[in-house]
Amino acid sequence: MITYIARRLLFLPIVLIGVTLLVFVAMSFLSPYQLVSAYIKSPEELKNQSLDDLVRKYGLDQPVHVRYVSWVKNLLKGDLGYSVSANMSVTEAVAKRFPATIELALFAIIPVVLGGIWLGTISAKHYNRPLDHVTRTFAIIGWSLPDFVFGLILLMIFYGVLGWFPPGRLSMWADTVVLTGDFVRYTGLNTVDSLLNGRPDIFWDSVRHLIAPVITLSYLWWAYLLRITRSSMLEVMNKDYVRTARAKGLTEKVVVNRHVRRNAMIPVATVSGSMVLGLLGGVVIVETVFDYKGIGLLTATGAQQLDYTLILGTTLFYGMLLVLINLVVDVLYAVIDPRVRLE
Amino acid sequence: MTTAKTDDILLDVQGLRKYFPITKGLFRRTVGHVKAVENVSFQVRKGETLGVVGESGCGKTTMGLSIMHLIQPTDGQVHLNVNGEWLQVNARTIGNLRDKMQIVFQDPFSSLDPRMRIRDIVAEPLQAHGMKKRRERYDRVESLLEAVGLGSHLMNRFPHEFSGGQRQRIGIARALSLNPSLVVCDEPVSALDVSVQAQVLNLLDDLQSEFGLTYLFVAHDLSVVQHISDRVAVMYLGRIVEMAEVEQLFGNPKHPYTEALLSAIPDPDPDIVGEEIILQGDVPSPAAPPPGCHFHPRCRYAKDRCRQEIPELVDEEKRGHLVACHYARDLDLTGVTPRETA
Repeated sequence: MITYIARRLLFLPIVLIGVTLLVFVAMSFLSPYQLVSAYIKSPEELKNQSLDDLVRKYGLDQPVHVRYVSWVKNLLKGDLGYSVSANMSVTEAVAKRFPATIELALFAIIPVVLGGIWLGTISAKHYNRPLDHVTRTFAIIGWSLPDFVFGLILLMIFYGVLGWFPPGRLSMWADTVVLTGDFVRYTGLNTVDSLLNGRPDIFWDSVRHLIAPVITLSYLWWAYLLRITRSSMLEVMNKDYVRTARAKGLTEKVVVNRHVRRNAMIPVATVSGSMVLGLLGGVVIVETVFDYKGIGLLTATGAQQLDYTLILGTTLFYGMLLVLINLVVDVLYAVIDPRVRLE
Repeated sequence: MTTAKTDDILLDVQGLRKYFPITKGLFRRTVGHVKAVENVSFQVRKGETLGVVGESGCGKTTMGLSIMHLIQPTDGQVHLNVNGEWLQVNARTIGNLRDKMQIVFQDPFSSLDPRMRIRDIVAEPLQAHGMKKRRERYDRVESLLEAVGLGSHLMNRFPHEFSGGQRQRIGIARALSLNPSLVVCDEPVSALDVSVQAQVLNLLDDLQSEFGLTYLFVAHDLSVVQHISDRVAVMYLGRIVEMAEVEQLFGNPKHPYTEALLSAIPDPDPDIVGEEIILQGDVPSPAAPPPGCHFHPRCRYAKDRCRQEIPELVDEEKRGHLVACHYARDLDLTGVTPRETA
């Protein structure tokens, strides 16, 4: 197991170099003048300087390999340039917005994984009986409904009509408390921080703001995981080793939990990996619909305003993140399926 | 046939039937039944090996699984002799009888849970039947693996690390873990190479004498059955058509179908040119078996009576040779000379 993880870690730098190369190629489509913004650290640098000076200063007139090396050096220092639309450096903007997205994703992923697998199991156990039809209908709706439509419907009903779940990340008053005074931001996750600061009112407020985007973000994946779990369970149920388990004289519960579900989890783990990636893509739309200030909204704003620095920076950030998530998924995969780690 | 449940009998099967419904259309209307096992009755004596042979699709495996109640039989009674007491095997009682009757499956590649270590695969039945201490279970697994010819150092491996023959040994160890009196062997060697087949068959033989096992041995390979069985039952389209001691059945078959099967055994001696009986046509569909004797459309001795009356499985000479053929007494059929098997 440890050697397997070590081997996977050895590949990590290679993949990361690949990611930087791809982003760098994308960058090379821009003119040196457009690229300057990706190198400067603050707008101050633009004062009393001609663009040509800056181009020369940052070596943008140099050949490709020199530019690549100096760019990577900057990256290693955590320097991704200055974003006009966010009015701060890209690193700063990402660091500031990322916890909000993490919070959204965590509240989406955990129920999806537990609930999706649970519903899938129920559906498979009640194959072709009423409960199966109900869960399948639930899944088909979730699978077919685009998230921006579903999000707007939720917003209309629960904010427009009922006024329960407002958009944004916090109400105005709570935002003021969080940003000022002695409210300590331990993690950047409002729900956690509010509890650590002993403010249940702020906790409740942040939960109220999370419910609708979380539901929008996760419905599709509830449906997806449910369907994968169901079909995978049904497939495993017909396997010979399940018959063997019955022949051993095990109870039906042990057969389903120990033999069927564990083996059915292998495709579910694979899908869960792509689910995490899909969720990160989904936040761009969901955060935009609900005006939830996370990294998705940051990216969307950057794209609308043609803020190259921000787009390149977030792309690179996404790339790195996905590589790491894939690594985690691969390790989980090996935990679930012993055949993988021994190959 | 004899139906008395005497003490030397271990398993008694009476009128076993398994029908699979054929459904059609949107509402899954039942339009007919595949009669996979049709009115099968027989007894297995303590300590013997009863071989069951027949073509693919004749219901051998279904019969084995029905007896084990791994699929629910449509009708019929199965009784097991447990220390002189006759217990009925049905959906309710099978849970408590699993430690008395076990099964070795056909495909050793798919019948072991790929996510479990060998020691857990073999130990799981012990746990399910009340052996609480882990140490005790693993000790038993160790001795079982030794008994089937696998080193106990292999305990911590996963199934995919083994060859087919080794896996079948694991399957056998698993079946024996609960000390069953009856073991149903469902084509245990048909998925293996011929060289490995012999090893596994000899292992089964050795284990039988070591643990006093009784086998119900399902196979389609006649030489395998001849090698391992004491008695043999021949199945055709869900019914037993002939049942006798192995020498009797092979040397002196009384059913035309048995004769045809035997003529198909390849003989290693090139000088012997036997007559091979090629059966005409295919096996009829078990959903719509022909009237009368099910074998008559392919039988070269068929007469009018065969097309109308279904023959009973009877022991006319009272010598333990049961045949389901109207003309069993009149036909002079060719068998095979018993030969030395390895």
